[in-house]
Amino acid sequence: MTVMRRFIFKVLCVGPIPNHISFIMDGNRRFAKKHNLQDLDAGHRAGFVSVTHVLQYCQEIEVPYVTLYAFGHDNFRREPEEVKCVMDLMLEKIELTIDQAISGNLNKLKVIFIGDLNMLNERLKAAAQRLMEVTEENKGLMVVVCVAYSTSHEIVHAIRESCVRKCGDGDSPQVLEVSDIEECMYTSIVPDPALVIRTGGRDRLSNFMTWQTSRSLLHTTAALWPELGLWHLVWAILKFQRMQNYLQKKQKLD
Amino acid sequence: MDSNDPMLLLSSRIGQIGDLGLDLLWRFLHIIVTLCHIVSGIFEAIQSYAISLGLIQKYSSIDIEKLRCLAVVLDIEVARDVAKVVELLQWLKTIGVKQVGLFDSQGLLKKSKDMILEMVPGSMLLQETGEKDISPDRKGIAIEFISSSDNKEAVVKAANILLQRHLKASHPEKDEGDNVFTESHLNEALRVVGENVHVPDLMLVYGPVRSHLGFPAWRLRYTEIVHMGSLKYMRYGSLLKAIHKFTGVRQNYGKSFLF
Repeated sequence: MTVMRRFIFKVLCVGPIPNHISFIMDGNRRFAKKHNLQDLDAGHRAGFVSVTHVLQYCQEIEVPYVTLYAFGHDNFRREPEEVKCVMDLMLEKIELTIDQAISGNLNKLKVIFIGDLNMLNERLKAAAQRLMEVTEENKGLMVVVCVAYSTSHEIVHAIRESCVRKCGDGDSPQVLEVSDIEECMYTSIVPDPALVIRTGGRDRLSNFMTWQTSRSLLHTTAALWPELGLWHLVWAILKFQRMQNYLQKKQKLD
Repeated sequence: MDSNDPMLLLSSRIGQIGDLGLDLLWRFLHIIVTLCHIVSGIFEAIQSYAISLGLIQKYSSIDIEKLRCLAVVLDIEVARDVAKVVELLQWLKTIGVKQVGLFDSQGLLKKSKDMILEMVPGSMLLQETGEKDISPDRKGIAIEFISSSDNKEAVVKAANILLQRHLKASHPEKDEGDNVFTESHLNEALRVVGENVHVPDLMLVYGPVRSHLGFPAWRLRYTEIVHMGSLKYMRYGSLLKAIHKFTGVRQNYGKSFLF
C-alpha cells in the first residue's frame, strides 16, 4: 500500500501542490452515531486517527502548511460535559504527541496552536504551549491547530492588538491600515490557504478563516472526517490543479 | 571517469523517460477528472430541466421565508454581462426572494446599479428600504451592491473609529481595550461607516470555481456557499434546487463540534 501511495503522490506532484491546505474537520459525532459507538468521545477518537493519516499524506506530498479547525470559539456553547470530553481528549493527544516529539519521532513537524487559548483550562493550555516549544525548531510541515478560534473573534482581537500597539507607538500616525490588522491576526504566521477542505457534506465555512480565503478553492466532501481517506485528498488536490491558472490570475489582480 | 559517462547518460535518459511517464499519467488523471465533470454536468443539466418543467415534485414548493438574505457572488468576467445578471434577478424575484446582495470584487455591478434597478421591475436599493428586516409581505426585491471595498477596507474604517474611541479613553496606554473592542462594537462601527452587517443565509457563486472571491469576511460566518457554475449557462432549475436544498438545511451555529 505504501508503495502504491508513493507512486500516486509522485504522479500528483507533477502538477502544482497547494502551499497551504486548511481542513474543517466536521462529522465526528455523525460518524459515531453511524457506527453505533456509545462513548461520548468515540467519534472524536476516530477523528484523531484521521488527523494522523492526513498529516502523513500532506508530509509525503510536501505541503508546507496545514491548518486544522479543531474547536470553534462558538463550540463552547455546547453541553459542558461534551466540551469537557473534547478538552480531555485533546489534552490526552497533545501529551502523547509531546512524548513522540521528545523521543525524536516528530522531527519534520512543527505544531502551533492559535485561537483564544485563554479559554482553555490551565492544564490544556500548558500542554499546548509545551508542544509548541518542543517542536519549535523543527523544519518540515507546519501544522496550525485552531482551538477556540473563529474569524469574528480573530478580527476583533487583531483590531484590539493593533490599536493597543498604535497607542504605544507615539511616532507613527494614529491611523490603522489593513496591514496593521493582518499582522495581529492569529493566522499571520501562515500564508492564506490555497485549498480549504470541509468534510461532512456541509457547504459553509462556519466562521473559519473567512478573511483569509478570498482566493481559496473551497472544496466540500460528503465523507465524514474520520472517513476522509487518500482518494478524497487526491481528488481535492486534482480539483485545485485544474483551477490553478484561474486562482493565480485572481491573485495577480489583487 | 570515462566508464561512468555512459552510465550517467543512461541514468539521465531513464530519469527523463520516467518523468515523461509520470507527466503522461498526470495528464491522463486530469482527463479522467474532466470527463467526470462533464458527465456530472450533463446529469445536472438534465435534472435542472426536469425541475424547470415541474417533473420533480419535491421542488415544486419552497419555504422561501427561511431565506431572509441571499448573496450572489459573481466572477468579474461574468459581472460584465449585465443582461444575464438582470435575468438572474428576475428569476430570484419570481421565486420570491426578497433581499439579495450582489457581489463582484471590482465593483462593476455597483457602477451599473442604476441600469440594473431600472431593468428589474419592482426592485429597489436595499439602503432605501429603511427596514432592518425585509417584511414578508413586501413586494419586489431589495438589492444591495457589494464589492471588495466593503470587505477589509470597511473593517479598517470601522477599526479606526474604535481606535479613536480607545484614544479618547483617559489612559489608553494602560487600557487593554476590553470596553471598546467587542464584536458588537465592531458591528456598530461598521454600520456607522455605512456597511450592512446582515449575514446572508445562502451564497450562490457564479464563476469557474467555488470561492467567495473576497465577499465581506465579517458577514460570512455561517453562510451556506453553493457553486452554481457559469452565469452564461445558468439554469432556472439549478437555482430552484440550490434554494430548495438550503431551506432543508439545519444550522447548529457552533453547537456541533467541528472536530
